[in-house]
Amino acid sequence: MASTSGDRVDLLAAGRGRRSVREESAPEFSDDAMLVHAAREGDRAAFGHLYERYARMVHGVLLAKVPMGDVDDLVQDVFLKALRRLSTLRESGSFGPWLAAIARNVASDYHRRSVPEDPLEDDPSDNDIDVENASADHEGPAAILDTIRSLPDAYRETLILRLVEGMTGPEIAQRTGLTHGSVRVNLHRGMQQLRAKLNPHPSRHPPEQETL
Amino acid sequence: MDTANNKTEDESPANANDYLWDRSGERDPEVQRLEALLEEFRHVGPAPVFPAIVQHRRWTFFPWRMRLFPVLAGAALLAITVVTFLLHQRKPFPVVMAGWDVSRLAGAPRIGRMTISGKEGYRLGVGQVLETDVQSRASLQAEGIGQIEMEPDTRLRLLVMGAGLKRIALDRGTIHAYIWAPPGQFVVDTPSAVTVDLGCAYTLKVDDSGAGLVRTSLGWVGFKLNGHESFIPAGAACATRPKVGPGTPYFEDASPEFRAALARFDFQVTTPKQRAEDLRIVLAQSRQRDALTLWHLLSRVDEDQRMRVYDRLASLIPPPARVTRDGVLRLDQPMLDLWWNALGFDDISVWRHWEHSWSGAATPVREK
Repeated sequence: MASTSGDRVDLLAAGRGRRSVREESAPEFSDDAMLVHAAREGDRAAFGHLYERYARMVHGVLLAKVPMGDVDDLVQDVFLKALRRLSTLRESGSFGPWLAAIARNVASDYHRRSVPEDPLEDDPSDNDIDVENASADHEGPAAILDTIRSLPDAYRETLILRLVEGMTGPEIAQRTGLTHGSVRVNLHRGMQQLRAKLNPHPSRHPPEQETL
Repeated sequence: MDTANNKTEDESPANANDYLWDRSGERDPEVQRLEALLEEFRHVGPAPVFPAIVQHRRWTFFPWRMRLFPVLAGAALLAITVVTFLLHQRKPFPVVMAGWDVSRLAGAPRIGRMTISGKEGYRLGVGQVLETDVQSRASLQAEGIGQIEMEPDTRLRLLVMGAGLKRIALDRGTIHAYIWAPPGQFVVDTPSAVTVDLGCAYTLKVDDSGAGLVRTSLGWVGFKLNGHESFIPAGAACATRPKVGPGTPYFEDASPEFRAALARFDFQVTTPKQRAEDLRIVLAQSRQRDALTLWHLLSRVDEDQRMRVYDRLASLIPPPARVTRDGVLRLDQPMLDLWWNALGFDDISVWRHWEHSWSGAATPVREK
């Protein structure tokens, strides 16, 4: 493919609100490209740096889709797959989106191999949790995480990267290759749905006006 | 332009919570509480020891090779002469085109007449057909572009694998696409519309009649046929019909009445009275996020109806500065684009850039 990751950045920067994308992400893309290049040359330390930079993102992507107990092992699987396929990555600046895709594929493979009773099916009916009983169950961290994972696919990954992995919106966009606009919208709407599920009783918590 | 846009972004509800976005602005106690509670699940730990990275072997000259250099150069010259002669005597060799790597997920998918079995690697080339029967599933992957999963009873063709445009045709069935190529580079033809990836993951279905449905789970998708265009952000869906093209996109959590009225309005031949009634239902039932649907309806209704749509949309999301009622009613494209950007989905300039670059790509390629 003749195009480069810069194409995407240029294209995004063409949007008036996107100039900051290019300004903020260009050095990191460049760093990624250098690290990928070094790793391809056999530099394991360079790949270690990529791991340190992207492990939280991979962890968050997996945590959104697979049971907690299996996530750490799958993180290693994702990086090992990436290591084996590194020579096939044509655009070294697109390492993040490429790695995120591998992580999503690993999560999909996990579910294909899993028994049907796995509770993390991406079912629209997941959105209709029993709000009457939810408030009492949503006090602990694990219950809150489960509530996030009951949100629509589009929101759960972004919210986990923000609230669990501690990444900011711009970091999420940079690491995953999503546009700033998509991340911002997913964060906002996801948080809105999460608040509604965690505080289902309007009398105790005034509802937030629905916004985009 | 920049100032106007900045103002628009500042006014956008999606931008209101800066603490959630980048921890700037006023602190949100609930977000802080959730961060503190969920921190225990955060990834920690140093990088593991990875296995050695296998490098491709490189050519190195040794002294003894240097001594053979004149012989090798002569042999190479002779080979080039022979090959050049043969090339002039024969038809040109076919150009080997890039393709998608195909793997079997279940059953026995087929590339043309070749059945895919086991875990061997297969490649779908330009012009080839990949088909799954009712029991088989397949996965396609292309580095730098993305991954596609094919459900049973699906047929697709690879049309183009160019530097800036990758194009397949989905004749029937269901695919799940996860695309990481730059926005606008991955295009799927269906019998009733062209789907353009704008940085996203989505599911696309086509039935035997050629009718289609796209559901976006991440990012957004453009749907286009003969100047009729729809933009579908995450959480939304859009149907398409042969000879009609894409319908009006809607959020899947809209009320059943809203969705039924919209489907009739888009695709059924009804009386003007019924059409007016369907529009009334859509407007009455629309919530703030259904501005997505109303914005699209502006260019799909007649002038009288457009005023009603404008008023309802303006009550949900006020038009930004420099967008006037008169301008919208006469479908001034820059004003419509400014209003779209104020809805908080994504920046429409990405789409306009695609349109400008690939104006000829908005029509499905016919099967030969």
